[in-house]
Amino acid sequence: MDKKQYGLSLSAILNLFVVGIVLAALLGGLWVFVSVFRHSVEQSALTSSEQAVVQASNAVRNYTVDMEGVMGTIEEFYGQETPERDRSLATLLRVRRDVVAITSYDEEGRMQDAWTGTYRLKKKILKNLSFPETDRPGPGTIGISEPHAETLLENYYPWVVSITKELEAPDGGKHMVVMDIRFSQIAGYVDGVGIGQHGYCFIMDGEGNVIYHPQQQLIYSGLKPEQTDILAGMGDGSVIRSDVIYTIRTLDNCGWRIVGISHIDELVTGRVRATMQILLVLICFVLATVFMGSYILSRTISRPIQGLVKAMQDFEANAKGFNYQPVHGSSEIRALSDSFGHMVVRLQDLMEKVRSEEITLRKTELKALQAQINPHFLYNTLDAISWLCEEERSRDAVEMVNALARLFRISISKGHELIPIEKEVQHAKSYLMIQNFRYKNQFTYSFDIEEAVLPCLCNKITLQPIIENAIYHGINRMVDEGRIDIRIFQEGEDIIFTVTDNGVGMSREQCSSILNSEPDSQNGIGIKNVNERIKIYFGDRYGLTIESEPDEGTSVEIRMPRIEEDGNEVR
Amino acid sequence: MKSGKKAVFLFFFIALLASGLCLGTCSRGTEAPGKSYVALITKSMDSAFWQSVYAGAGAAATEYNLEITLEGPASEEDYETQNMLIDRAVEDGAKVIIFSAVDYNANSEAINRAAKSGVKIVVIDSDVNSSQVSCRIGTDNHAAGRMAGRAVLDTEEEELYIGIVNHDVNSANGQQREEGFREAALEDERVKAMYTINVPSTTEDAREGAANLLKEHPEINAVVTFNEWTSLGVGWAIRDMELADSTRVVAFDSNVVSVGMLETGEVDALIVQNPYAMGYLGVERANSLITGSGQEESRIDTATTCVTRENMFEPECQRILFAF
Repeated sequence: MDKKQYGLSLSAILNLFVVGIVLAALLGGLWVFVSVFRHSVEQSALTSSEQAVVQASNAVRNYTVDMEGVMGTIEEFYGQETPERDRSLATLLRVRRDVVAITSYDEEGRMQDAWTGTYRLKKKILKNLSFPETDRPGPGTIGISEPHAETLLENYYPWVVSITKELEAPDGGKHMVVMDIRFSQIAGYVDGVGIGQHGYCFIMDGEGNVIYHPQQQLIYSGLKPEQTDILAGMGDGSVIRSDVIYTIRTLDNCGWRIVGISHIDELVTGRVRATMQILLVLICFVLATVFMGSYILSRTISRPIQGLVKAMQDFEANAKGFNYQPVHGSSEIRALSDSFGHMVVRLQDLMEKVRSEEITLRKTELKALQAQINPHFLYNTLDAISWLCEEERSRDAVEMVNALARLFRISISKGHELIPIEKEVQHAKSYLMIQNFRYKNQFTYSFDIEEAVLPCLCNKITLQPIIENAIYHGINRMVDEGRIDIRIFQEGEDIIFTVTDNGVGMSREQCSSILNSEPDSQNGIGIKNVNERIKIYFGDRYGLTIESEPDEGTSVEIRMPRIEEDGNEVR
Repeated sequence: MKSGKKAVFLFFFIALLASGLCLGTCSRGTEAPGKSYVALITKSMDSAFWQSVYAGAGAAATEYNLEITLEGPASEEDYETQNMLIDRAVEDGAKVIIFSAVDYNANSEAINRAAKSGVKIVVIDSDVNSSQVSCRIGTDNHAAGRMAGRAVLDTEEEELYIGIVNHDVNSANGQQREEGFREAALEDERVKAMYTINVPSTTEDAREGAANLLKEHPEINAVVTFNEWTSLGVGWAIRDMELADSTRVVAFDSNVVSVGMLETGEVDALIVQNPYAMGYLGVERANSLITGSGQEESRIDTATTCVTRENMFEPECQRILFAF
């Protein structure tokens, strides 16, 4: 039986439902989580970028403040007498290793003095990058140069920042004092600041020129671009531009700007992607588990139901032969199954009961009929016998009485339903004899019986009702002499009885009405009864067939299986 | 029908598990790459040039999260130590060897052997005779030679007698530079003669060789030399013989001493390469070879600059000459 006609099966619906809900919930949750997570990670990236820049700018600022402090110390020493001043400054250079050189210039820019510590001043200075040619600081203020290579010392070219201040010389003149401070320490601060894996800080001036960049070698080599022109136009604060976080902070004392650059895809997208991947894996496993779970669940519900459905369909198709196998499952299913099982047993019992009751009824009915002696027949026969006695035809009378006695003996047959055909034939002969006498030889009759079938069994009183019918309906109304031929023969495994008369015959309607109508009081057991009896005993393929032609005669054929005498009587 | 349905269920289940596992392994693959090891083997270790290469390589290794070793023999003649270093790098499981060959031919066998065992080869600065090299990064030596030629010719002298103090004849870059130099020099008819000597790549050998050359050919009024050590040697020889004013010297690469000589006049022009870029690009290329992405080019030229006394303190040249 094709289940598709019922649409989706219960388990499929359950599965789809559960998996669908779980999937929707998970995806929804994932979306919410990722958007929240992304936002918070973005915020934390911004914060960490800002923190890094603040840290760097504080370090640089502290350093510049420290440099101003050193400059203050120089200022103190500068007012001293020359030998003492030289000693003090030499000590300063020894103590502060990051101070490379201190030089002083008069108002025309001519070098007055130079303190260079352990390094030797060049004999001939090709170019002095430490002394600001144009941009000299005013009195009381400090000038900070861009980083440059130290050009004053022999075979020593460190990168330095020059700090310039106008000081009063011991002789009262105005001197520009320049202190060259190694830049690598600031560079170290800046290099040390990392934001994420690839983020970094760099220093630029107000115009966007790079003062120090951790990857300045790359920038100068043209291997990496830095969009300083865009950055120069930005104010302080953080900006996210095409997946890059720019954080800028301007130092208040020297105009330098610390720029922090970090990549949002690395800080944010990377983490989001990693989290997404973990979540997707989890979702897959959860889905698989849910899928499996709902599958098992639906199986435990739907499989027994499917079993029940199939059992019911089978029961519907073949109620009698159905053998119920209980369906296992949950307690509800087992209750259903048990109820169905009980119902099946009960129905089958009822059906069996109805059937056996029907058979019993038929048998009882038959026995009643058999026991019933047609009173007309008996009366007529006795009347005929008394008439014979009156005429003193005692031989005929004795024959008649014997025939009647035989008739009854065989009819009773100790209550057996099946009797040998021989006896049945005797019964028929006795009946015909009586009738023939009564009808004053209006008809003749003949028997043609195969010897072999005589011991076989047949239902008793099978032939008599048919002969009776032939006489009453066929021959009684005839003017000419009637004739009844009885044949019994074997055909394969079956035995065929035929009763043929040459009477008035019957129409087709009459034929079928004889087979279906209840016997009337005159007709004794009746043809219908014979037919039904044979069918009950042997099955539907056995029974009577009537062929009749009006004014030609009637032929009745009885078919029953060949049953040997020693075979068990059926039922 | 029942078995068909079972198959469908099973299929979904397995598909889900499989996709889960696949995603899981994928994510693990991207999250924990484990640092790849890259070996950088140079011709020597302590020259300013190689230090700058190491600085660039280190920067790139940090950026690309690679483990890197920086090694080289003590002298620039020692190809045997280089071969030993190559073999050791292969043993240590290097994914890429970044290599600068002492000897164009003598290193090729070791390089081929490394390539055969699956190591990718990137050459910087000085080439090696091998077809297994994935990428060559360095100065266009021929063009650098021509640049040196132009620097020599940038003089008022009527007649030029040029002394060439080249390093090892087996070094590929020296030969290519000399070739480029000769090509440029021969285009000028003021060049009357060129005398070439090859000296071992040390300051002392070059100093001695240059002094002998100058004594042998007193007419020489221009000297060119092609690497850091020979540059110093020539500078010292010029200083010893007090020929700073009368001889035009074009040297290669910069360090504190040669920059000092440029300032004081022994050297008149320096052809400065970009070793930082070589180191950086070498590691960058190694990374793209490991990850199998990015650049395809098999030759990257790094820039060279001609620095003279006049422009040496321009901001651009400062950045090139003076390392941070």
